[in-house]
Amino acid sequence: MNYRLIEELISLRYKLLWAKTRSRNGRIAIFLAGYLLLAALLALLTTGGVGAAIMAIRSGQGEKIAQAVLGAVFLEAILASNILGFGMNAVFSDLELRRYPLLAGERRLTRHLIGIVDPFWFLFLALELGLAFGMYGAGAGSLWFGLIAVLLLFVSNYLLARLVALGVERLMQRKGGSGFLMAGIMLMAILPSAIAPLFKKNPALVTSFVARLAYTPPFLAAAAMIHPTLEALRAIGMLMWWILALTAILIWMENRPPQRRAAESVKMAWDGPTDRVGAWFGPELGPFVAHWLRFYTRNSRTRVLCVISLPLIGFLTFQTGQRMGPHSLFVAALGTFAIVSFLGVSRIALNQFGYSGGAFRRYFLLPVEPSATLRAASYAALTIGGGFLPVVLLAWIILAPYPLDARMLFMLICSGLTGLFGFNALGLWVTLYNPRKGNYASSFGNDLSLGGNIVLIGGVMTAMLLPRLLYKLWPVVVSPEAWWMVWPLPALAAAFYFGTLRAAGPIFMARREQLLAVVEGKA
Amino acid sequence: MDAIRLTNLSKKYGTVLAVENLSLTVRSGTMFGFLGPNGSGKSTTIGCMTGLLDPSGGEIELLGQRFDANNAAIKRRIGVMPETLGLFEPLYAHEFLAFVARMFGLDEATTRKRVTELLAALELTDTSKTLSEYSTGMRKRVAFAAAVIHSPEVLFLDEPFESIDPAGVSLMKQWLRRFTEQGRTVFITSHVLETVERVCQEVAIVTRPGKLVWQGDITALANDGVVVCEGKEFRALEPLFLHLTGERYADLNWL
Repeated sequence: MNYRLIEELISLRYKLLWAKTRSRNGRIAIFLAGYLLLAALLALLTTGGVGAAIMAIRSGQGEKIAQAVLGAVFLEAILASNILGFGMNAVFSDLELRRYPLLAGERRLTRHLIGIVDPFWFLFLALELGLAFGMYGAGAGSLWFGLIAVLLLFVSNYLLARLVALGVERLMQRKGGSGFLMAGIMLMAILPSAIAPLFKKNPALVTSFVARLAYTPPFLAAAAMIHPTLEALRAIGMLMWWILALTAILIWMENRPPQRRAAESVKMAWDGPTDRVGAWFGPELGPFVAHWLRFYTRNSRTRVLCVISLPLIGFLTFQTGQRMGPHSLFVAALGTFAIVSFLGVSRIALNQFGYSGGAFRRYFLLPVEPSATLRAASYAALTIGGGFLPVVLLAWIILAPYPLDARMLFMLICSGLTGLFGFNALGLWVTLYNPRKGNYASSFGNDLSLGGNIVLIGGVMTAMLLPRLLYKLWPVVVSPEAWWMVWPLPALAAAFYFGTLRAAGPIFMARREQLLAVVEGKA
Repeated sequence: MDAIRLTNLSKKYGTVLAVENLSLTVRSGTMFGFLGPNGSGKSTTIGCMTGLLDPSGGEIELLGQRFDANNAAIKRRIGVMPETLGLFEPLYAHEFLAFVARMFGLDEATTRKRVTELLAALELTDTSKTLSEYSTGMRKRVAFAAAVIHSPEVLFLDEPFESIDPAGVSLMKQWLRRFTEQGRTVFITSHVLETVERVCQEVAIVTRPGKLVWQGDITALANDGVVVCEGKEFRALEPLFLHLTGERYADLNWL
């Protein structure tokens, strides 16, 4: 084993992290602050773990609480790592590592060591270690067994997360894979509420289910923390078997790269749907809008988000609308209608040029006013997003448990249009002032800038909470009787949007060199 | 008429000077080589001449008119193949070329005809792959096709010959010769001095930071003649380039 080189490569991962921040002027301070925050969070999580342990022992249900905490952390780590990615995956891919004098096994070890020492994983480790220390401090079990169990759990957690990510990646490479994935996600979301009544009716099922869970890594780690020697040794031994099995499966999967689908010859199409929709915008802007529509609709994440957003909106409306009183579902829908047109296209609409790479400079070589590309991109997002409004409106008419009320429909349309124009205007500002280089081909991970995240997460939170708040403080505003009060909202949002488009043109020209540096990865 | 005229062009990135008071003239119908070591400001100069970058000072005239980034009328008459190629990865080659052609104002029928002909001529008929799946050489061919699809009067090619196979280079050279015979202008940057020597009539050599050190006719070199510079005779472009730019090979005795 070339340990020296492996160590160098792991430290390179951190050097690259540092260099990435250093290349942006004045970001070092933010970087340091970020790490201080991370340290604070680690401390918090550790004490949180200790707290959970103390509570577990005092309540006399040490093992059960340890199982619940470790199980939740285990699942969250798998979910979060699959959504946010595994750090610098591309830089340290097997292909990239081949340039170094490392054997195949060493390359694999390097890749996974770099993956597991990501700061992100330390957060989960901190919580688990906190629990182990807390358990020991509160007088339950052995510290050494607890620590070993946590470390083994941590490794098995990472391996399983990697396996899930690999499975998802393989699935996405198959035709119709995104559909399967979406169905899987939906099933997982619905499953708990579907099986809960079944468990209520048959308590014996719960006992047998929990008995089976006893063989899973988090439950085994909990057993090793709590029980005296023999039981702990048995749990540790089984955890080691888990690691061996997961490693074997991971190696097996990694050694079998996906078969490339046979190339399908594509007939040259000159007048596709995007061209026809683009033509609505006139002969000058039409080809540009068609180009952007193609850019949006070929993006796998945009496609998945678009498909997911409709059931998600239904789910959020139903969840938010619980226990609010009369018209509660309608009040919740007022909020969710505002975000439905933006969720699907948000990835590109909040960072229009971040996925263009070197092609960004092409926009300045074309014989059109350069800001036309900004307008065309935004019109494309508006067109795709706007297309959701009639669909959700129809769904509302069919599914909502209210008699058909034109005032409600009017208010929902107003809410939808306000969100459509408002979010797309904000997307333009984020595109101009807080762009980020992203990978067009990646299907997972959050590659939005800070501004993009603020608009998206803040927007969703506002849309969910504001109608609820209004319902509590000033209910008449969100009742159908107030239908005549809402029309200024879309008008204001449209004014904001078109005002933004007008103002953004000169700013786009003035900032194009900074934008170029960011999207080409030079800043 | 001069196709390109730069007067005291300069470009700064913050405090870093990339191009310093560059003045040069390129006659119409010329194949013009713009040479210089890495980091000497060649791509920056092309960026300023094509509207990608704003010059910090000086003037640019293209086809007899003053040019700036908003001059769409001039942009319609020039073609550019950027060093980074500027391809939209998720598109198929025909979609990309059709988009560029439509943006340059070609009607639908002409667009289809030219795209089909260009793809066939450049052997880019594999329609199963998007541009992201193309090899570097194929991507370069697509970028070249995008630069010429609207029959520009001035063609800017940034490193056009690198990564293209000999047959492709030969075809491109043939096209470029015919292009200049029709009175159009080609402005090339390249590090392949042998090719520049054979195709260009005139070259300008710049050093860091974008400072012109020599401009002259090199047609004699293609006919086994000599070029005289600072009292010295040069039979090839490479020694002339090394002489003017002061580039030396470091002597690493361990290598």
